[in-house]
Amino acid sequence: MNTVKIEPISRAEALRYLAAGGSTPDENLSALMDNCEKKLLSAAHGKFTFRVFDIENMTDDEVALAASELVLSGKDISRHLASCEKAVLLAATVGGDVDRLIRTEQVSDMASAVVIDAMAGCAIEQVCNKAEEVIRESFPEMNMTWRFSPGYGDMPIDCQKKFVDAVNASREIGLNVSESFIMIPRKSVTAVIGLSKEPIEKKRRGCAVCSMRDRCTYRKNGSRCTY
Amino acid sequence: MNKKERFYKLLEENEFVFLDGGMGTMLQKSGLKTGEVPELLNLNQPELITSVHKAYVDAGSQIVYANTFGANSYKMAEKGKTVDELISAAIENARKAAEDKALVALDVGPIGQLLEPTGTLKFEEAYDYFKEEMLAGKDADVVVIETMTDLYEAKAALLAAKENTDLPVIVTMTFEQNLRTFTGCSVGAMALTLEGLGADAIGVNCSLGPREFAPVIEELSKWTKLPIVAKPNAGLPNPVTNEYDVTPEEFAESAAKLVRYGIKLTGGCCGTNPDYIRALKKALEPLKYEKNTPMCEAAVCSAEKVVVINQPRIIGERINPTGKKLFKEALRKGDIDYILGQAIEQSQAGAEILDVNVGLPEIDEKAMMVRTVKALQGVTDLPLQIDSTIPEVIEAALRVCNGKAIVNSVNGEAGSMEKILPIVKKYGAAVVGLTLDEDGIPKTAEKRFEIAERIMNKAVEMGIPKKDIFIDCLTLTASAEQANVMKTVEALHRVKTELGLKTVLGVSNISFGLPNRELINCNFLQMCLTNGLDLPIMNPNVASMTGAVRAYRLLTAIDVNSVEFIAAYAGEKTPPSPIPKAAGGETHDLMYCVKNGLKAEGAKVTEELLQTTNSMEIVDNILIPALDKIGEDFEKGIIFLPQLIMSAGVAQAAFEVIRNNMIMNNSAPVVKGKVVLATVKGDIHDIGKNIVKVLLENYGYEVIDLGRDVDYQAVVDAAIENKVKLVGLSALMTTTLCSMEATVKLLREQYPDCKVVVGGAVLTPEYAESIGADFYAKDAKETVDVAKRIYG
Repeated sequence: MNTVKIEPISRAEALRYLAAGGSTPDENLSALMDNCEKKLLSAAHGKFTFRVFDIENMTDDEVALAASELVLSGKDISRHLASCEKAVLLAATVGGDVDRLIRTEQVSDMASAVVIDAMAGCAIEQVCNKAEEVIRESFPEMNMTWRFSPGYGDMPIDCQKKFVDAVNASREIGLNVSESFIMIPRKSVTAVIGLSKEPIEKKRRGCAVCSMRDRCTYRKNGSRCTY
Repeated sequence: MNKKERFYKLLEENEFVFLDGGMGTMLQKSGLKTGEVPELLNLNQPELITSVHKAYVDAGSQIVYANTFGANSYKMAEKGKTVDELISAAIENARKAAEDKALVALDVGPIGQLLEPTGTLKFEEAYDYFKEEMLAGKDADVVVIETMTDLYEAKAALLAAKENTDLPVIVTMTFEQNLRTFTGCSVGAMALTLEGLGADAIGVNCSLGPREFAPVIEELSKWTKLPIVAKPNAGLPNPVTNEYDVTPEEFAESAAKLVRYGIKLTGGCCGTNPDYIRALKKALEPLKYEKNTPMCEAAVCSAEKVVVINQPRIIGERINPTGKKLFKEALRKGDIDYILGQAIEQSQAGAEILDVNVGLPEIDEKAMMVRTVKALQGVTDLPLQIDSTIPEVIEAALRVCNGKAIVNSVNGEAGSMEKILPIVKKYGAAVVGLTLDEDGIPKTAEKRFEIAERIMNKAVEMGIPKKDIFIDCLTLTASAEQANVMKTVEALHRVKTELGLKTVLGVSNISFGLPNRELINCNFLQMCLTNGLDLPIMNPNVASMTGAVRAYRLLTAIDVNSVEFIAAYAGEKTPPSPIPKAAGGETHDLMYCVKNGLKAEGAKVTEELLQTTNSMEIVDNILIPALDKIGEDFEKGIIFLPQLIMSAGVAQAAFEVIRNNMIMNNSAPVVKGKVVLATVKGDIHDIGKNIVKVLLENYGYEVIDLGRDVDYQAVVDAAIENKVKLVGLSALMTTTLCSMEATVKLLREQYPDCKVVVGGAVLTPEYAESIGADFYAKDAKETVDVAKRIYG
């Protein structure tokens, strides 16, 4: 288990999550965001853990991991890991105190709750980025893919429970999965990162595998979230 | 000799009792793959399991944990074996290895799903899972509940063990280096709660190595007199190699350093094997058990926060319908958010414990109490005081209360003590004893003192620790019984000094029927504090009252260097920014407040407006047009979600003022229509639904908010009961859309006239149509438009 200190939250990124990407916040909103950031930073405790598996067998729509019962299924994950020898399973969270904070704010001030909710999304992103750094340092000779999460593309979200078990995330970082495959604490991420000795073609994550592609506010307006 | 006696004999006859080490670690070494289910090996490879136990017994383990950690019916669903089969086999496998050399423990780990309020598993469901395990494991010698990170789950398991077996129970939880579990449970809260509930030994396992255990065990030793258990990991795992980094010798050396903090039972968790137990035994051989000496002050707690009653602590009295029209109205409507708002307000004002009274003759007090306690635990970390006279209500509340609560109250009547005290004892609560009995409230201090003593003796006789008994000498109103005011103070002083008990007192009644009540209350409070009052029950929102307590703490040198006082009062009170007066007078100001998100000012302006303007005029001519404009700007992309909600918040505050005004004047608030809202079964993402609620209320609709993870039938029942024309459903996960569909279907069958609007990030208009919803709303604004179409 690794802990990550959450750094100040990028306003631009938070606004993007608030469907206000590219806008300049007025004085009131700026003040609200400052206040929310303070609360979030004291509640967020970034943590992550990961396990590295050799890729044992790969077909067009399935990746089997060595010494594990876990099979990653879907054409998209197969493509994602094509040419990789190893798969890193990552689990990250900003912890349950953030859930409580958002719950409490919903009772006393809904606007704060919404802003903190968005900022917590930025915070978990920070944790994942830090995790990538640590993984990169652990495998200096390998190349890394970007993070592919259950639910992206055609990778079923119902593998979430086995995924979390495989990295022992419940014991190590307190991450659990509900019966509807919702991760709890809410602001958490699981992702697969491929490791390869060969250079990996730099693909953008893009809309193609995004689970929100049919409903995305940005796409509807003809733009993209730039992720 | 029964099993409990045998367990205690084992503790008595040994300086230290040795537990086993990791089971999973050993099985992985024998080829268990990641993701394989170790519990199935109890049936498929019993010899392997027995051989692991045997290796531990040979290494010196005196209690071996059967291979039942995850053998609950949630984790074992679809594995083809029943909990009963797996646990029976596991205990038999362990018994073969243990023979008469070791005790066999039923090992009970977390269910694998988080409990409410963070997760969706209900406390009662968790209890049922554990009950099944306890019944299946009756043949064990000990129950071990371990690796818990949620105190609530540990409580469910411990209750299940106590109520369904006669076995001794060990409970260990998993802490991080910040002395908290992942769910925020503190070491002190764990100790107070589990000791109160009757655990036989408590401690810590997993997560950290033995070196990192020291501060956790040290902290635990301050809070419990029970034997302490330490079962650390072999250091921390390397994610790349999956190996642990502490050798058996290092492990034993660090573990030996825990002896000074009172460990009595010790072993290893993840990454340890029989070598670690052997080394541990060798290292502890020359040492003597050093019994822990905890601090003896009274204390209560939530899961997160311990409140030690070593100084006056404020009990907030506002969650109580007595004499409050608005509160009664909220109770009748089941408006839980109103109660939560009261909790948060008091907590911010300085309350340290919250009194919870939801008694109203026309409602189901027990159900409401359970709902309230659960909801409060989701938004506040303050310990609770359960305020009811009905034993069934008290018991139901204590059962679902996460932490150590206070029961308010028992009195000197024999019947009251016989009914209430056993409940207090069973759940490990503290209790308020009222100094009255069959003959009413005695006039003299002497008689009240006698009743206090009687309650104390009875409670102690029933096994309730003296420090958990708080006495209320009862405030009488000064206007009616002026001569008796000092009797209360005198009795309080005697109880405190002669009986050595903590004292509690509701102070506000003193001024009933008098003008300037605040002045009287404040003075009476100060008199009582000086005479030994520990727990004033009062309104913390009144600044002078909370200030009096803070000042008392400062003047008596409890608040060392005035730290808390300065934190409360220095500098932080900047006056609210003045409301810019717009040309055209006051009406413009409210609109300005709404547009600019000025909540407190908006409420104030509304109050002023009500002096001169009819409430409906304010709504129709100012608030609704302002909201419409904001909504329009939102749709055009001129403003964004946070600003929309800030404005809605101001409007909400203004409406609140108007509504209160109407209720106070006994005129029914105008309701345009009722809407049932719910986040569907299985889903807990309710922030969107809550935004919709605020906006609907802004436009004058009454929202029956069923919350999140709502059963299909509950939605239908609420819709029918309230005769609504519109139900709103939200879902955020693709996996919970099926729940939405099922709910719509059920509504169609049982209440076909009702319209349904659906929303949520994963929904599309097409999908909404395909599941038979009448409307799709992409945001809160559109939901209001739908409501307007239906109700006008």
